[in-house]
Amino acid sequence: MSSIIQCRGVEKIYRQGDVEVPALRGIDLDIQAGDFATLSGPSGSGKTTLLSLIGGLDRPTGGEISIDGEPISGMPKARLADLRLHKIGFVFQTYSLIPVLSALENVEFILRLLKVPPAERGPRAREVLRQVGLEGLEDRRPSRLSGGQQQRVAVARALASRPAIVLADEPTANLDSQNAEELIALMAELNATSGITFLIATHDSRVIAHTRRHIEMTDGRITADERRGADIAA
Amino acid sequence: MLVALAWRNLWRRPQRTILSLLSIALVSTLLVCVVSFQTAVYGVMKETTLRIFTGYAQLQPLGYADDPGLERTIARPEDLAREATMIDGVTAAAPRVNGFAILANGERSYGAAVVGVDPASEAQISSIGSMIREGRYLAPGDSDAAILGDILARNLGVTVGSKVTVLGSGRDGSVSADVLRVVGIYHSGIPELDRSILEMPLARAQETFAMSGFANTIALGGATLEGVNNAMPALQELARKQGVIVRDWGSMEPAMRDGITLKIATSMMFFLTLVVVVAFIILNTLLMSVLERTREFGMLLAVGMQPHMIGRMVWIELVGLALVGCGAGLAIGGGITLWLQHQGVLIPGMADLLSQFGLPPRLYPALSPLSALIGPGAIFVAILIGGIVPYLRVARLTPALAMRGA
Ligand SMILES: Nc1ncnc2c1ncn2[C@@H]1O[C@H](COP(=O)(O)OP(=O)(O)OP(=O)(O)O)[C@@H](O)[C@H]1O
Ligand SMILES: [Mg+2]
Repeated sequence: MSSIIQCRGVEKIYRQGDVEVPALRGIDLDIQAGDFATLSGPSGSGKTTLLSLIGGLDRPTGGEISIDGEPISGMPKARLADLRLHKIGFVFQTYSLIPVLSALENVEFILRLLKVPPAERGPRAREVLRQVGLEGLEDRRPSRLSGGQQQRVAVARALASRPAIVLADEPTANLDSQNAEELIALMAELNATSGITFLIATHDSRVIAHTRRHIEMTDGRITADERRGADIAA
Repeated sequence: MLVALAWRNLWRRPQRTILSLLSIALVSTLLVCVVSFQTAVYGVMKETTLRIFTGYAQLQPLGYADDPGLERTIARPEDLAREATMIDGVTAAAPRVNGFAILANGERSYGAAVVGVDPASEAQISSIGSMIREGRYLAPGDSDAAILGDILARNLGVTVGSKVTVLGSGRDGSVSADVLRVVGIYHSGIPELDRSILEMPLARAQETFAMSGFANTIALGGATLEGVNNAMPALQELARKQGVIVRDWGSMEPAMRDGITLKIATSMMFFLTLVVVVAFIILNTLLMSVLERTREFGMLLAVGMQPHMIGRMVWIELVGLALVGCGAGLAIGGGITLWLQHQGVLIPGMADLLSQFGLPPRLYPALSPLSALIGPGAIFVAILIGGIVPYLRVARLTPALAMRGA
């Protein structure tokens, strides 16, 4: 299996005035296509930073990241936005949806950015919303959905573009345990059925229990990387 | 897509949007009303002042402007006058002889301009005929009749029926003398006129001043000053062919022209300040709403929206706000102005002053495309230009920073 995400010596130093905060201190990481991996570690260990670098939301101060074999550190902003649009789906802890759009419109929005013909958008958006179990709630705005339902819409939106990778940053942090279980089961199922690669930053042991690969970070470094389960052939 | 999104974003905080709209609409309304009123008042002021004596334009001999003298003449003035009135916008043309003489009544004598006029055509151009306090205006067929301003009459001690001796020099330098009978005394409210002008029949003046077949100037009139101004190119063409020149109102009344220009400039400064203040309020509000949405924009960037598209969305919000606000202001201000145009505006305390100029106590604003659009248009443009600030702010966002709400 090929590496869909490849990090080589990735460093990130934040500058706050004169103070330098090293958030990542040399990350070497390979994530294979179809992987379902979690990333955990103490607060401040650099999980969010790593995800945002992989997603091209920010640039590393050192090292190189390649997505699908393509180095991204030199890409202009607009190319990065395009890369995210086509290859990467994001699910965040909060603030994931456009508040003035309904669930359906939030999903359709991505399809419009992708220039999917209008006639296809509606059916395709309804289909992914059905996949995440939100049939009947398509016309509600985020403020009228529960936290779990909002996260499902976010997952549906991430899936709508048929991305290669979904990056999720603490997606269950604001959910009660039943909703968290359901969300994680949903992501595992999508990973199994459509082969989308998932990289999930989380503290949640229920989430970690689901995954085939578990990466631990401490203080900007990877301190453990364990693979489990039957299909760790690669 | 962006339009719909921008529109919904505007209504996320209805009070704020309504307040913004109100401030744009209010100032637009104000500007439409005030500008329409002002241009109308200046227009009426100009027309009324020019109509007293000067006329909306004049045909004059070459060099007359710098050195008016009897010897500078227009030959066959009736023909030129007739040709001038055939030009669109020019409805009246009155040849004049402009002599200077000592007027005497017994012991008293005063220098004054003695203007020979054709009563019929003069009445279409000059409103002196309607400002007669005593007696009557000159009439066709009058021969030794004269009218004069009330101050001049008082100075000379003449009343209607008195005789006035006119003593001056003619075109050829000969002595001109005549005795006229006062048939009317006018009061224009403009001391320079009331103190210094005597009018007498044109034919008699031509005889007295050795001007037979000649005039010094031809005053022009029209239904509106604008009509005459628009006829300027045609008048210039006519003047060029006849070897005379045409002077517009501004060149004949430079003090009034400069005064009005200055007033317009000062009020423009004031309007400009208003426009800038409104634009700042709106931009400040929008910038605030942009900052509030930093995380949301970060999310949009994260899902793959291009930075410039987000910038454009914010821009559209601004355009929408400005368009609706200015549109409302245009409609309300236009409505009010049209209503006032119908009703007239009474300015307390102005009635006396206005009536002196032969003006009615009510003034009527005039809504024109220019007076209606200039204010709202300026606000719209100012907001659009200022909109570059939030646009740049948004286009510069880094998605990771935006996600953390920085
Ligand atoms: N924009 C920034 N400017 C300065 N320092 C930052 C910035 N973002 C993150 N950091 C610092 O970088 C380090 C890593 O932060 P990061 O958010 O990646 O941690 P994390 O593992 O996601 O933590 P958590 O579990 O609390 O979400 C921390 O020390 C943090 O204070
Ligand atoms: Mg984090």
